Amino acid sequence: MNYLQMEIPPRSEHLWRYTPWPRIHPSSIDEVPNADTVVFTLKQNDSFEIIEQPKDAHDEIARAFLQSAGGTTNRLVINGDSEPLHINARASGHIAIGHLDLDVRGSAVVFVHISGEPEWVGVHITGKVHPNAQLSFGFINELDSNTKFLRCEDWVVERDAELEHATLSVGGFRCKSDLRSTLNGTGASIRQSVTVNAVGPRHDDEHVEIHHRYGHTNSDLVMNSACSGSSHFIGTGLLTIAENANKSDASQVFRNLLLSEKARAEAIPELEVLADDVSAAHGAASAPVDKNQMHYLMSRGLSPEESQALIVNGFLLNAFSNLTNKHLIEEMRTRLTVHLECELKR
Amino acid sequence: MADEILRVENLHVNVEGTPILKGVNLTINRGEIHAIMGRNGAGKSTLANVVMGHPAYEITQGSIFYQGQPLEELAVFERARAGMFLSFQYPASIPGVQVGTFLKKSVSSVRENPPKGREFRKELTAAMEQLSMDKSFLSRYVNDGFSGGEKKRLEILQMLLLQPNLALLDETDSGLDIDALRIVAQGINQVAQDSACLIITHYQRLLDLVKPDFVHAMIDGVIIRTGGPELALRLEDQGYDWLDVTA
Repeated sequence: MNYLQMEIPPRSEHLWRYTPWPRIHPSSIDEVPNADTVVFTLKQNDSFEIIEQPKDAHDEIARAFLQSAGGTTNRLVINGDSEPLHINARASGHIAIGHLDLDVRGSAVVFVHISGEPEWVGVHITGKVHPNAQLSFGFINELDSNTKFLRCEDWVVERDAELEHATLSVGGFRCKSDLRSTLNGTGASIRQSVTVNAVGPRHDDEHVEIHHRYGHTNSDLVMNSACSGSSHFIGTGLLTIAENANKSDASQVFRNLLLSEKARAEAIPELEVLADDVSAAHGAASAPVDKNQMHYLMSRGLSPEESQALIVNGFLLNAFSNLTNKHLIEEMRTRLTVHLECELKR
Repeated sequence: MADEILRVENLHVNVEGTPILKGVNLTINRGEIHAIMGRNGAGKSTLANVVMGHPAYEITQGSIFYQGQPLEELAVFERARAGMFLSFQYPASIPGVQVGTFLKKSVSSVRENPPKGREFRKELTAAMEQLSMDKSFLSRYVNDGFSGGEKKRLEILQMLLLQPNLALLDETDSGLDIDALRIVAQGINQVAQDSACLIITHYQRLLDLVKPDFVHAMIDGVIIRTGGPELALRLEDQGYDWLDVTA
């Protein structure tokens, strides 16, 4: 559907409750502004296939908007096993939009590092993990602290395929992510982690949907946020298990660490389970730093500031504990640690 | 002249408004090993925690001196940097923080001339070998998923690396099998040579391996009897009723 013909979603919708569409749209909601292109470059020699986007392919407003405003799609096909691929997504200009599509038929590790200083950035990533393939995917948001950021992702994980998906969100002023995965065949699995460091007035809204369409599928989502200053983090999850998807196993855990009185965090996992024979668990917790942990570290000579920084570091790193690919874990850990060390020096 | 490390004078302490310590007096000099024994709830752990500065404990009367200086003004981390160490009965777990990272930061914070790089790794390896700890400990998260014995070994490893002037050991022997107890005792004896040591325990078995110079019996927040190692043997044999005039 064309974006301009779509109705603005009401705030009563789960997805738009905390960051309504008008708050994340780059200008006036009844227009599609001109946009520059987010430039995707590969550190390796591989190159992207540039393809035209299908018209009016989306009935979801954010995706339809990105399609209307953005240009072509950068497509990367990965056959066989590959070394970790680092994709640098550079945003510039006033408004920048990019589209990336990954087609994975072997075993791959892919990182997308997004950076830049536009007022507004939008990215739509799509991907398919073919039967029996494995993808470990890391997304690192290091945008400027004044940038508004809209990110949509759509993944299809086919029979006996595995997707490991990690997000590190430390950039941007107001961020809205809508990450959707469909387990589209028996034996498909996804392990997903989202780590958010919300500082200052940052607003970060991360929505993760995982859909079990077939039985014997597994999903595991961990979302950890640390909120300081007057920041606001929202983590919402939607887990669906289809009527015939028996023997599915799903888990969602949301944890928020509140580091100041003004910081706010919402953690809202939602389940729609239509099958009878499944295992589905979810949990959510928001709390300040544990006093016993602080006391323990201070009794070992660390100052209160050092103690809190170490606890926050560990808490955020722990979101990656459900991942298994060593390249993915190492890169995400390194990026987070470097970010937190820079934060500490500010 | 004795090198006084810790002096506790008429110490009264409340926890959430309830009096726990009701006038404790204790002096520990460098090179001395003291043991405190007592029933559950007698106030033994409270004494160790309040000396280390735990914020949940309120001193209502009396004073604590460390190397002649009043402790009240020192924050917890300053006490650690001054050479005080508490081996916790229930050490906190800190998911996501690797043991190796934690030890490096702690040693850098506490020791005046901390070993760097290769020197630190060499010292760490030696201490871990002494405690029969596998190197894989270093990449695990601090106390996260550790067994009781593993937690106690990590506490003693920290003590070896931090080289304290005053070591407070709160039921370090609990959760240890006989072999682990022997290894941990060896570590305590090593540190105790040049420091002051206060051992809180329920059992004689640790005191067979770490010989105390003084044994104190604490009942209802007060040290009511002080003796030598023979007092521990009698407490193990006869319990506390013979000391407890209120029983």
